[in-house]
Amino acid sequence: MSPKTDTFGGRQAQSSDLVQGTLEMLILKTLELEPMHGYGVGLRIEQISGGVFRVNPGSLLPALSRMERAGNVTSAWQATENHRRAKYYSLTARGRKALCTETEKWQLRIGAIAQILEA
Amino acid sequence: MQWLDNLTNGIRALLQPGRVERDLDEELDSFLTDSIEHKVRSGMPEKAARREALVEMGSRNSVKHQVWSSRWESMLDSLLQDARISMRGLLRSPGYTAVALLSLALGIGGNTAIFTLINQVLLRPLPVRHPEQLMAFANSESAGIAGGIDPGQIGGYFPWDMAKQFEADPGPFQGIAAYGSFSDTASLRLTGHADGSTDGQAFLAPVNLVSGNYFSVLGADALLGRTILPADDAAPGSGAVAVLSYHFWHESLASDRNIIGKTMTINGTPFEVIGVMREGFHGIKQDIAPPDVWTPISMQAQVLQFPSMLIPHSGLYFLHLFGRLTQSAVTNKADFLHSQNWLDNRVRDAIREREGGPLSTERQQEIGRETVPLVPAGRGISMIRSEYGDSLKILMGVVALVLLIACANLSNFLLARAARRRQETMTRLALGSSAMRIVRQSLVEAFLLSMSGGMLGLAVAFAATRALIGFVSQGDSYIAMQSVPDLKVLAFTLITSLLAGLLFGLAPAIGAARTGVHGSIGSNVRTALSGGGRRVNFWPKSLVSAQVAVSLLLLVLAGLFLRTLRNLQNQDYGFERTHLLLAQTSERLAGYAPHQLPALHQQLLQRLSAIPGVRSVALAQMPPISNGTWSSNISLSGYTPGPNENLGSDLNRVSGAYFETAGIPILAGRGFTEADNANNLKVAVVNETLARHFFPHGDALGKMLTIDMDSVRGPWQIVGIAKDTRTGSPRDTDPVTMTYIPLAQIAPYLPVPAGSSARAATSGLDENQNCYANTLLLRTTGDPGQAIGALRSAVASIDPNLPLLQITTIREQVSNLISHDELVTTLSSLFSSLALLLAALGLYGVMSYNVARRNSEIGIRLALGAGTATVVGMILRESLLLLGVGLALGVPLALLSTRLVKDQMFGLNPVDPFTFSLAVLVLAGTTLFAGWLPARRAAKVDPMQALRCD
Amino acid sequence: MADDGKSEVLQGTLDLMVLKTLYAMGPQHGFGIARRIEQVSDGVLNLNEGTVYTALLRLQQQGWIASKWGTSENNRRARFYSITRQGAKQLERETENWERVAGVMERVLRLERQG
Repeated sequence: MSPKTDTFGGRQAQSSDLVQGTLEMLILKTLELEPMHGYGVGLRIEQISGGVFRVNPGSLLPALSRMERAGNVTSAWQATENHRRAKYYSLTARGRKALCTETEKWQLRIGAIAQILEA
Repeated sequence: MQWLDNLTNGIRALLQPGRVERDLDEELDSFLTDSIEHKVRSGMPEKAARREALVEMGSRNSVKHQVWSSRWESMLDSLLQDARISMRGLLRSPGYTAVALLSLALGIGGNTAIFTLINQVLLRPLPVRHPEQLMAFANSESAGIAGGIDPGQIGGYFPWDMAKQFEADPGPFQGIAAYGSFSDTASLRLTGHADGSTDGQAFLAPVNLVSGNYFSVLGADALLGRTILPADDAAPGSGAVAVLSYHFWHESLASDRNIIGKTMTINGTPFEVIGVMREGFHGIKQDIAPPDVWTPISMQAQVLQFPSMLIPHSGLYFLHLFGRLTQSAVTNKADFLHSQNWLDNRVRDAIREREGGPLSTERQQEIGRETVPLVPAGRGISMIRSEYGDSLKILMGVVALVLLIACANLSNFLLARAARRRQETMTRLALGSSAMRIVRQSLVEAFLLSMSGGMLGLAVAFAATRALIGFVSQGDSYIAMQSVPDLKVLAFTLITSLLAGLLFGLAPAIGAARTGVHGSIGSNVRTALSGGGRRVNFWPKSLVSAQVAVSLLLLVLAGLFLRTLRNLQNQDYGFERTHLLLAQTSERLAGYAPHQLPALHQQLLQRLSAIPGVRSVALAQMPPISNGTWSSNISLSGYTPGPNENLGSDLNRVSGAYFETAGIPILAGRGFTEADNANNLKVAVVNETLARHFFPHGDALGKMLTIDMDSVRGPWQIVGIAKDTRTGSPRDTDPVTMTYIPLAQIAPYLPVPAGSSARAATSGLDENQNCYANTLLLRTTGDPGQAIGALRSAVASIDPNLPLLQITTIREQVSNLISHDELVTTLSSLFSSLALLLAALGLYGVMSYNVARRNSEIGIRLALGAGTATVVGMILRESLLLLGVGLALGVPLALLSTRLVKDQMFGLNPVDPFTFSLAVLVLAGTTLFAGWLPARRAAKVDPMQALRCD
Repeated sequence: MADDGKSEVLQGTLDLMVLKTLYAMGPQHGFGIARRIEQVSDGVLNLNEGTVYTALLRLQQQGWIASKWGTSENNRRARFYSITRQGAKQLERETENWERVAGVMERVLRLERQG
């Protein structure tokens, strides 16, 4: 089993990669489901996308930091189920709203692109 | 408030980098542990799981770096880092950095200094409520007492009775107030005790008379106590109250808060101190030496020690008026016109009423045309503004150009440096540094330079402003201008520095960006550096040509101003301008009554003549040339004036040896002698222009002249004709008629008007005020400055109370009258020399760089047998080309721009061929010298060395 | 992400759209491509010239499209772009990838909070 490659590999992104916006939307969505620590977010994204999206700490942590600064998520240190300390991220009201508008935009765009691909 | 959280979090992160780091480390650790645990759970051996987790995470530092860069404070952090790198780079070439900072400091400092003055003289509004509503009635810059004119005409003078009417009925104005057109210096003494017995210290300070509503219409409040109120200014002689300026209170009274209610004598009369104004308030008139004390106009006779000018129909006009418009008249043109028309109608009515009796249709029409224009006074009424305003604007342009030249130099230097660092830049790009980062580095360096330059510039500006204000004030100890920059000035400096930085940092930054796009480390770096000629060179060379062009403009300007000043100084003034010392005194302030003057004058003349090195001595009311005038209408026997003919003549009352002392040649007849005294026939000397105008056949001598003023009516027999002199502004070349009368022949008492009682003849107030002589003139054999000490002690030996208000040589007196010309000339010469130096430095830098760049090419040429002369010629040709392009741009530029200063010229055309040729020659000489130095270096290139280097 | 109504177009999907447009419409000049994309998407996708030209440059460097000078409908000289054989293959790959991503996103965004 080879190490997983990163779907959201920052600057060196391949043209087929989706960039920051999509990643942030995925994180928002993941945290909407339940608050989680960093590793859990990455894992959950991989799970819910059925392994299509993979995200490494190099993309995930900067994205979380950026979103925290933008006020879309907050973080707190909490004990994990196996009694270690981990930084838990959760969605703020602002983040919930952001997820809504981002989702709408995404739907719109997806529709537009589909139209082009079908045309 | 999201941004606020973001900001505070960022600042916290900047202040506690350790905590952020630890936090991140812990998070990464937990991430790693989770990852390993997860892999182990899904059946991977622990060792492999750990390895894979580590691989997934990649470089721990890189992750940390990415988290860090996702936050704004990382931007700041890397900016600081850029600043550190730039600082190191700049310190590595201290010579260049010093030159760069010096030229920036001078450039920005010059701009700031001139702006400081412009801000104070031209921009700053009065510190009062709604200054934009204030309107002066006519241009009220001049000061004095006028008579025989219509109210509001020629300088906006009004009599007291009319001012009172306006005060009572301001029509569409919110209020109309009056103030004395001049601030007379008075002797103040704080008595300390209500009974007046005191040993308090005496001060000389300017006192201004103001109407009871002056402060309320002006919209100014007192800092302590109260301002003058209408009740204080009700009737002549009542209302002995005084309001002090902050400056006087602070400097002379040690900010004594208990001053209110105390008594202070002004020229001997006790006044109650009722208030102190706020700091920075100088009244509506922005004089160089602003008033320190305000008293009601009702106290005019006591304050000015001059017979009452408050009698209705006295014909003495000495007040200026201003009004406060309603806000709607400020914004609405129709409302404004309504106010203007109301004022004009009131003035016309007043004129008609004053004339009395039936008026001719012609006069009716004339009155109907008279108008008193409303002049915006929100920034105060300032003689300095009209005198120096244009000069300051020109200088602002000049210093801005100098700064541009300095910027061009810096731009070139940074370009050259960027080119030298091209390889380094490319390496950095190849190593993954973003082009943005390199551009930013380049801009940071520029801003670092411009900000440091701006800081130094502020210091330069402070010193320069002090010097400039000193120049403008001409020795007045306190003036209403400050060299301390206010917020507006600081903002100006900041913006100027930023703009300058952007200006000279932009080209190198763009250059760096271009390297980022096109550069690749694989390409032949050396070719790019040595051969990649034209493109790389285009910028520096065009900048140098532009510098040459702008320098030419500045040189031409300086040349024109220099020649103007020369012309002003070297014109025929009609009197001698060497060996003459002038002293201003005030016999009235020292307490002399007119009938005591003949004895005093006699004593002064004797004592002063005895000073060694003094050839002759004279007294006069006014010096041969000054800002003031004493004038009146005259009439001449045997001369019938035409309709509307101007019969005005300037007057001066002088003692015996005036003409010899002032050095004014007598062209016909004789000057005055000691025999021209009260016992003999009254005589007068007139100037050429007067004689020629009234007696074109040359028969003026012996004719009788009458002055339209009771105190000096005459008739006077003309016994001599003196050469014309410049009496006022040296720019004013229109001939002026002039009448001189002997001081000794002016009666100390006024003629008793028919019908008045004999009692008046002995009362002090009816003494003849036109007997005073305010000027002492000393013609010396040597340097007149040497006689000042002896003059002081001689005057003190007669009466220690006789003040010597101002002592100047005639040369200084003339130069004071052309001080704004001197200011512009001195500064534009200074700045154009600086510009020339900077442009020469610029050319030198660019050519030196070219020579260094083409070292190997020159080496090859020399090795192939080219002579030194050829090489020197080759390099010089380039300099010549730049010079040529610069001149081709500069001459039309100068021709266009000098038109703007046409009004400032005196005795020459702004398209002065001599000035232009000289400027071109100086510029060519300097440029060629600057180009020759690198050329000579090129010729000394050792071919072997150059080739080996390659 | 920009908050205005129109969306910025993500780089990856832009390449896809350009390739698709050239594939479907035949050779086009840059302006035509941008307008076409805007038109078909009912104005949802707003492209500025700069974005399109950088994309064209990038695609050309990859060898996925080729260009030559031609005359536009209003008789001006313009550079016309056409898709290469390699480009057609890339289009296929990108389309597949896009559909996969879009499908997953669709599914993910429909997930509801459990409990």
